[in-house]
Amino acid sequence: MSAHSSIESADRTLAIRDLYRTRPRSRLVRASVVLFAFFALYAFLSPDVAWSDLFSARRRSNLSRFVDHDLIPYPLRDSGFSWSALTEWAGNLMRSHGLEAMAATFWISVLAIVIAGLASLLFAPLGAHTLANREPYGSSAKRSGHDAWRALVGTTRVAAVLLRAIPEYVWAFLLLAMLGPTAWPVIIALAIHNTGILTRLGSETIENLEVAPLESLAAVGASRRQLATLVALPLALPRFLLYFFYRFETCIREATVLGMLGVVSLGYWIADARGRQNYDEMVFLVALGAVLILLTDLVSYTVRRWIR
Amino acid sequence: MNPAPDEGTYQLNNVSVTFAQTPVLSDVSFEIEAGEVLAIVGPSGAGKTTLLRLLNGMVGPSQGSVCHDRANLQSLSTSQLRRVRARIGFVHQSHNLIPNLRVVQNVVAGKLGQRGFLKSARSMIRPHSGDQAGVHALLERVGIPEKLFERTDKLSGGQTQRVALARALFQEPKVLLADEPVAAVDPARARDLIRLMVDLAREDNLTLVACMHDLSLAREFFPRMIGLRAGRVAFDTQTDEISEEVFDELYSLAAR
Repeated sequence: MSAHSSIESADRTLAIRDLYRTRPRSRLVRASVVLFAFFALYAFLSPDVAWSDLFSARRRSNLSRFVDHDLIPYPLRDSGFSWSALTEWAGNLMRSHGLEAMAATFWISVLAIVIAGLASLLFAPLGAHTLANREPYGSSAKRSGHDAWRALVGTTRVAAVLLRAIPEYVWAFLLLAMLGPTAWPVIIALAIHNTGILTRLGSETIENLEVAPLESLAAVGASRRQLATLVALPLALPRFLLYFFYRFETCIREATVLGMLGVVSLGYWIADARGRQNYDEMVFLVALGAVLILLTDLVSYTVRRWIR
Repeated sequence: MNPAPDEGTYQLNNVSVTFAQTPVLSDVSFEIEAGEVLAIVGPSGAGKTTLLRLLNGMVGPSQGSVCHDRANLQSLSTSQLRRVRARIGFVHQSHNLIPNLRVVQNVVAGKLGQRGFLKSARSMIRPHSGDQAGVHALLERVGIPEKLFERTDKLSGGQTQRVALARALFQEPKVLLADEPVAAVDPARARDLIRLMVDLAREDNLTLVACMHDLSLAREFFPRMIGLRAGRVAFDTQTDEISEEVFDELYSLAAR
């Protein structure tokens, strides 16, 4: 005790100040904060974005007309609220194309994500350094430094980047020209893009798996194929499913949007209703898309809880 | 199927291991007879785990040779080494098992190195009744037969290590290697587990080599001990011949 108190309190203050001045700091973090603050300030003040555009009298009256009049289902506009009129209107919309469009959106997404899921199960191990090497989870000396395996991992990763670098919308646009306005351009576009994403996420998941179970089975002589399918797959399954359902949800949203290219999913009818200036119908169809997403989320939650 | 009376031997001749220019083991030589039960002790960083990994070929010597049942592990092809490893059980400190599979599937995985792809895949997905009976019998030997279809992540630390032991025995091994098998186990259960492991090895006439952190457990159950200090063999004797001073020296020098 006495040995420690030998530092005078003034000296201690100086020592602490010194330690504070020389504390480890990240220049990168500070520089990015400053840079970002500058950009944000510039964006607010720049002449490209005029705040008055958002709040001008015309905009306000447009907005209020939209909310007070256009959004209200037309049978309710004059006669006031009535359940029977509302349900009849909604029922007619569902029967004429709502249900069909919802189903089309759903099945397009299911097909796309199943194709992408299966393809990425095949490709993901090829992009994982831990499995694609001379002796996976084996003797440390032989794990790395073999060019053919490195090339395989590199090729897989570059291919995955290329697949997902091109947006679904562009894939679908190109494929529509080739395949015509069926559901297939959208399915294939979504499958291609998501194969790229799921392969990348899958490879990363495999590389980040706990090593010990894999190493201990490599130690009893398990082969690469056995390690990949019988050990790594079950270990990674919960995370794979998480990504799978997350991308499935995205697929549903994208399938909706891609309908605007002319394929009869929800997006087609949304664009159609907007074209006819039937905003009440448009909002109804948008809501159907949201319901579809909510249902998917529910399914995903249940499946993941059940399998975990 | 127990090993033949002369199976499970080792000869290490002047073995050195160097990782990135750092010597981990230097000039290590000793022999292990079939069915011998021995502990490797020493402070952390002494090279115990590396020594164990030499014995199943996961680490190759930089100099010298490691012979197992008169075959030099260095000279074996990949597939020959795979066959040798298939008959060497290995129990790690922890995380040996696939947590989201059932106990039976984890034990069956012990034979991955001895079965072709399709057969092993089928046995991992749905073990046939013969495998189930074999696993159940082994779980009975390690004291938890009722856990056959339990999910592995529902087990306690001690039970998990018992399953790891059962998996090693399912390999029908000649040799059992254990790397501080009770380091992650509640101390009250550790003693039972070590006793079980030694008893099982004796019953099946297996060679057992275990890295032991706990000296008192090592002295109680292992008739032979090899002390490692900074990568060198400090002593290699019968346990009852080791004096207290030898242990003090083993650990005090490392602390310096």
